[in-house]
Amino acid sequence: MARVYKPGALSADEIFATGLRDQWHAVCPSSWVERGAIRKLKRLGEDWVLYRQSDGTVRMLADRCPHRGAPLSHGMHLGDRIACKYHGVQVDGEGTVLSVPGMPGCNLEGKKLVRALPVQEVGGAILAWFGLDTETEPTPLVVPDPLADEGVSEFLCYTEWKAPWRFAVENLLDPMHGAFLHHESHSMFGGEQSARFRIRETDRGFFFEKTNQRGVNFDWVEFSRSGVDWVDLEIPYPATAGPGGPFGIVGMATPIDEGTTSIFFWRYRRVVGWERDVWRFLYRTTLEERHWAVLQQDRAMLEGMAPDADQAENLYQHDLGVIRLRRMYRAQAEEQAKALAEA
Amino acid sequence: MSLYMVPIQTRTGDPTPYERQLATAIEGVFGEGEHSLEGLVEGLNSAGVFAPDGKTWTAESFTTEIARLGDQ
Repeated sequence: MARVYKPGALSADEIFATGLRDQWHAVCPSSWVERGAIRKLKRLGEDWVLYRQSDGTVRMLADRCPHRGAPLSHGMHLGDRIACKYHGVQVDGEGTVLSVPGMPGCNLEGKKLVRALPVQEVGGAILAWFGLDTETEPTPLVVPDPLADEGVSEFLCYTEWKAPWRFAVENLLDPMHGAFLHHESHSMFGGEQSARFRIRETDRGFFFEKTNQRGVNFDWVEFSRSGVDWVDLEIPYPATAGPGGPFGIVGMATPIDEGTTSIFFWRYRRVVGWERDVWRFLYRTTLEERHWAVLQQDRAMLEGMAPDADQAENLYQHDLGVIRLRRMYRAQAEEQAKALAEA
Repeated sequence: MSLYMVPIQTRTGDPTPYERQLATAIEGVFGEGEHSLEGLVEGLNSAGVFAPDGKTWTAESFTTEIARLGDQ
């Protein structure tokens, strides 16, 4: 019987550390995988190879040749398939061995022996379905509404931090840090430095929001699960940024491994016509580097935290969003570990 | 593993002197609280920041040029 590599039964701790399965995760910017290109990436603690077929379709496979386990990412792009550099074995985008040139007619031919992840491109990024089981059908992916809205203009900012993914997501569920960590910034200098928060349920997640202030600083965030986990939040611009009101962020954080995270920030604004054009011009010319400086404040703080920083906390009312998120992910990690153990 | 940290991801080179000057002037007008197209055009002209052909801006010439700059 032919063998297909898959990671063993992961424990709940391992799933929690390297990312929840059975959902879509953002993988990398679309521009990283150009036509004819092969790219090796680690995501959720595993090695993957991505390539874009000559017809434009992106493929994502486990980075292991089914013959001897060599990295397919060292191989050759043959238009619709990769030929392993080691012995020339050809694998297509579904993970099926098409040809074993060294031994024509070899019984590996025609068999699906490499794990292939379903892939979609959204807002200039590649998203993939990481099933708990290789055979699980992906759940539908509902595109975050700001990214599907024609009245919205956005830019993707991608970066990587040496911090666990949960720190990055928890940071987004913690609006209060805006008034402190980002007090010296172009966008979050205003407003009160104390607040009461509330959780407001939605049919796809929840809002975590200040009860005393809105539209002045980082005052609310919505957490959504729509096949992919994402947040939406809003931060005011100073008058110098012109018409169009605050900017929004659709944020996603994908584990690279247990200590490193891919950060996806779609910065967006509800602008059309000349207001859109002028914002896009200013974003490229002056605003992008100011946004980047703010993001570096988050990075420095999260990378400075010990990996077990959350082991002896003393939380207060502002941390209800973080607590809610952790409880949800923790319970899901337990469920997924149980399902894997029983499989 | 080297981490991807690139501050400027929406352009490949530095803005030109013209783009810098125009951006600074636009932010100056906006910073005064003037957010209308007419006010912006008037503000740029009175600041002496003119169109690439040396002429004063009109609403039409500005929207055409900013569409080009915004879509690069």
